Amino acid sequence: MPVLAGKELRIVGFLCNWCSYGGADTAGVGRFTQPTDLRIIRVPCSGRIDPLFIVKALLGGADGVLVSGCHPRDCHYASGNFYARRRLEVLKGMLPILGIEPGRFEYTWVSASEGQRWQHVVTTFTNQIHALGPTPVKDVLGACQGLPSLKGGDRAVA
Amino acid sequence: MKIGVFVCHCGSNIEGTVDTAAVARASMDFPEVAYAEDVMYSCSEPGQEAIIEAVRTKGLTGVVVASCTPRMHEPTFRRAVERAGLNRYMLEMANIREHVSWIGKDREANTNKAADLVRIAVEKLRRNRPLTPKSFDITRRVLVIGGGVAGIQAALDCADGGMEVVLVERTSSIGGKMSKLDKTFPTVDCSSCILGPKMVDVAQHPNITLYAYSEVEEISGYVGNFDVKVRKKASYVDWSKCTGCGACMEKCPSKKSLDRFNEGLGGAPAINIPFPQAIPKKAVIDPQFCRQFIKGKCGVCAKMCPTGAIDYKMADEIVEEKIGAIVAATGFDLFDHSKYGEYGGGRYPDVITSLQYERLLSASGPTGGHIKRPSDGKEPKNVVFIQCVGSRDKSVDRPYCSGFCCMYTAKQAILTKDHIPDSQSYVFYMDIRAPGKMYDEFTRRAMEEYGARYVRGRVSMIVPKNDKLLVRGADTLMGTQVEVEADLVVLAVGAEAATGSPQLAEKLRISYDKYGYFMESHPKLRPVETNTAGVYLAGCAQGPKDIPSSVGQGSAAAAKVLGLFSKQKLESDPQISQVNLARCVGCGKCVSTCPFGAIHMIDFRGQEKAEVIETVCQGCGICAVTCPQGAVQLEHFTDNQILAEVEALCRF
Amino acid sequence: MQSLEDIKAKIKDALPGLDCVIGWERGWSPLHGTPLFMRSPEDVDRLTWGPFNVGNPATYLTGFKGKKVGVVVKGCDSRSVVQLLQEKLVKREDVVVFGMPCEGVVDLTKVARKVGDIALVNAAVRAGGTLSVTTPEGMVEIPWEEVAADKCLSCQYPNALVSDHFAGEPLPPAMGRDPAAEQLAALEAMAPAELFAHWAKVMERCIRCYACRNACPMCVCRDHCIAQTRDPHWLTQEDSTREKLMFQMIHALHLAGRCTECGECQRSCPVDIPILALRRKLNAVVKDLFDYQAGVDPQAVPPLFTFQVEEAKINERGW
Repeated sequence: MPVLAGKELRIVGFLCNWCSYGGADTAGVGRFTQPTDLRIIRVPCSGRIDPLFIVKALLGGADGVLVSGCHPRDCHYASGNFYARRRLEVLKGMLPILGIEPGRFEYTWVSASEGQRWQHVVTTFTNQIHALGPTPVKDVLGACQGLPSLKGGDRAVA
Repeated sequence: MKIGVFVCHCGSNIEGTVDTAAVARASMDFPEVAYAEDVMYSCSEPGQEAIIEAVRTKGLTGVVVASCTPRMHEPTFRRAVERAGLNRYMLEMANIREHVSWIGKDREANTNKAADLVRIAVEKLRRNRPLTPKSFDITRRVLVIGGGVAGIQAALDCADGGMEVVLVERTSSIGGKMSKLDKTFPTVDCSSCILGPKMVDVAQHPNITLYAYSEVEEISGYVGNFDVKVRKKASYVDWSKCTGCGACMEKCPSKKSLDRFNEGLGGAPAINIPFPQAIPKKAVIDPQFCRQFIKGKCGVCAKMCPTGAIDYKMADEIVEEKIGAIVAATGFDLFDHSKYGEYGGGRYPDVITSLQYERLLSASGPTGGHIKRPSDGKEPKNVVFIQCVGSRDKSVDRPYCSGFCCMYTAKQAILTKDHIPDSQSYVFYMDIRAPGKMYDEFTRRAMEEYGARYVRGRVSMIVPKNDKLLVRGADTLMGTQVEVEADLVVLAVGAEAATGSPQLAEKLRISYDKYGYFMESHPKLRPVETNTAGVYLAGCAQGPKDIPSSVGQGSAAAAKVLGLFSKQKLESDPQISQVNLARCVGCGKCVSTCPFGAIHMIDFRGQEKAEVIETVCQGCGICAVTCPQGAVQLEHFTDNQILAEVEALCRF
Repeated sequence: MQSLEDIKAKIKDALPGLDCVIGWERGWSPLHGTPLFMRSPEDVDRLTWGPFNVGNPATYLTGFKGKKVGVVVKGCDSRSVVQLLQEKLVKREDVVVFGMPCEGVVDLTKVARKVGDIALVNAAVRAGGTLSVTTPEGMVEIPWEEVAADKCLSCQYPNALVSDHFAGEPLPPAMGRDPAAEQLAALEAMAPAELFAHWAKVMERCIRCYACRNACPMCVCRDHCIAQTRDPHWLTQEDSTREKLMFQMIHALHLAGRCTECGECQRSCPVDIPILALRRKLNAVVKDLFDYQAGVDPQAVPPLFTFQVEEAKINERGW
């Protein structure tokens, strides 16, 4: 669906199933109001997140990418988030040389019980992306063609 | 693929802020979607039947359910598609409740977002393939961590069910907090009389191995096949020789050691058996107080011991156990009331905790069951109880209700009257929370039959006045100030997660909340399970609860373990890594990063290749990221699936 | 040159036990060194050493997996060998390393700027600080630092870091400029949108020939590179700047903590895309975060294949 003009920007989230995805659920159960921009992709572990997925999203025109996993020492798979931390930190250091503001990508740790923290993270990050504005990537590279669809055009919801 | 999309109203939970019909209409335009409809309650019997019906009549080969979180109903809908004749992994869910309808009221934005989430679910589903679980053998032995009443119950139920049990207790005796209590509410029966026999049962049960004075050092493996290392702490007494006669305790010259069992009231010898009913009844030397350790000479206990059990050179020992399931029953600790300066911050000897008061009431306690206040040993006449000390108070970061304090305070007020008939009890409370069977009647009795004066209000300060304590507070029902001259003040301290809980949770790979309590899998429907298969919870480790609830949870956890062990073999989750041998260049990077040792190198037609050991792989996907050529792929979270999800979002 | 003769003798001694020894010989012009795979003593006689041995012979090592080979290396090449050993992509017992001190190699683009069409060069000789190039128009003498490869001006490892046989007197590190660092600093000084536009512009001329990848000694996936497969489908075959830039990011991030900065990727680019800056930045980040430099210590573990529970330099940003 198209980003709601003037309202939303495109923010992609990669969340660990065991902690942050549950934290986002907890936030929902608690009815903690959040901005609507974020779309969450569920992964089994932050260790499953290839930094290149994030690059793919950013080059695809995402205005922001948020990764959230389990707090260090609290990984369901013992060490996934430790690997993730190194990979993501390298990516974060690397992005500026590509001309992508480092603030467009953040990673954080949120546990399944931290609904309020999740609300805070989403709100802060969304505000941060809105402050940065739409990504220059789309202007420079044009809109993404994406995967060919097997069926015709995409109809707007409204 | 022919995909069916079912958009759930969840009553008004979703429909209230999402136009589900519009989402269903939009879904029809997504690739390979052949059918879409909105349904009232997709998880209900008719809702599931509608999905099954549609699969059969429309010839669907994959299903997307847009409803609540997959953490809730993914198993439900997997079973539904399986009943419809599809492989259960040909299902994806879009979480449009917790992640959409419940976090905002903008119907347009929500509808748009919901359709987006359906789109990424469709794109992922298009790349799913049928998976079949593998089965593997299990070790039918259970580890129970914590020997309080919850752990005891879990251990006994598992053992009675024919399973081998390893019970690990941090202190030198099982019994936990309950063994320190004098009487229990609402029946006012003797705590050790009802707990004692259970403790003896643990000691005598042929299926239970008890490691007291031990801690869990390391846990590896997975459900059905955990490898656990237990650290047996050095007690400096050879327990195989110790008969528990107590001769060493009588002659020990360091009589002023910290008496942990009596909550620091009185003193204990440096070599100690904490209480007469201790299980195991074995002595432990506290090197912090033992002269042999402090000064390097003494050796009195070694001389006195009739069996020669004393061994000052003993070191910790690590034992390894093979385990199939784990019950964490590590209990709670008490709030440290010194954080409340207005109650003296721990400086007034006659302001004590409720558990210290239990020890004063107990016949096996330091005063032999006579209530004597710590400062001068006098019998108190006016006793003030202050509730909610470290409960329901955000200022000390304890916003939760500890649940049992109202009840034990009522019990202590009743016992005070029993012990000292001419005494008067005052209870400062916020609300009375007595929702159990016979509980409210019990607090009524404390007030009406035993004359405890309940004052609804907080105590603002306690100041010493002569040899008494002036307790000043508000009576919010009367709207007046209240002052009571108390001989003794008992603080109903709340419960905290046991020290070391977060560290243990990390070893168990389970989640814990910000207070350190272990998180259950679902607060209502899976209260004793965790999100880590094979790890269960019992008692206060999961959150404060009273004895009946702890015992109930102990039994419930045991039932879960017995249910798990009733299977001949366990099924492994087939969402695991797979190596594409044609793409693997044999670099071995996946082997080095796998936290489970689930990948090994094999010789394939003369070339080194990686291979996943299917029942060992837990499906984290670290290897998939490590492999630069994408030869290792995690089933159902393949690069292509995640890339498709990303692209689905970035198209616009 | 005595040390070249010494190393030739050592190679000849070792040759019977080896499948081949990889080195350089004179290529199609006096300026071009070309890879030499020595299998006989006569082959060894063709071995050259000097400023025209530009390529990195370590790139060929993984192609000989399972066989015993020798390799002649410059200091920078040896870092690639070290990194391959570190990642167990090459077994130590399967490789014999011959090293000599390296005084730097030429950058042919720079030479061409001085003398025009380098295909017409008849002779080229380096003597001390001068490169003498003879063209049909006559001889041109060029100060060495004006035609040396950028990386050589500030080379920290002129001698092989790992070698079984070493001939010649080890050289001290070079103390010259570091033009690549200057270029990186210039890029970093640009505004993000401007910088992104810069990359889009330079990548537009990419022809997706993958020479950068094929020249990279650490790109061991070869035929299995994810750039050229649909399973996994990281890249389409579409001729778009997005896909080209994505490939550069794949290459760069797959080299995180592994790139030894031999510069072969950029040198081999037929359309002169300055992609080395991405690797330079990456290496700076890795150095900063993990105090780690690839290809220095054969016993080390590349930083992305391990972790510390408490990372000394990762600042957990409070959210």
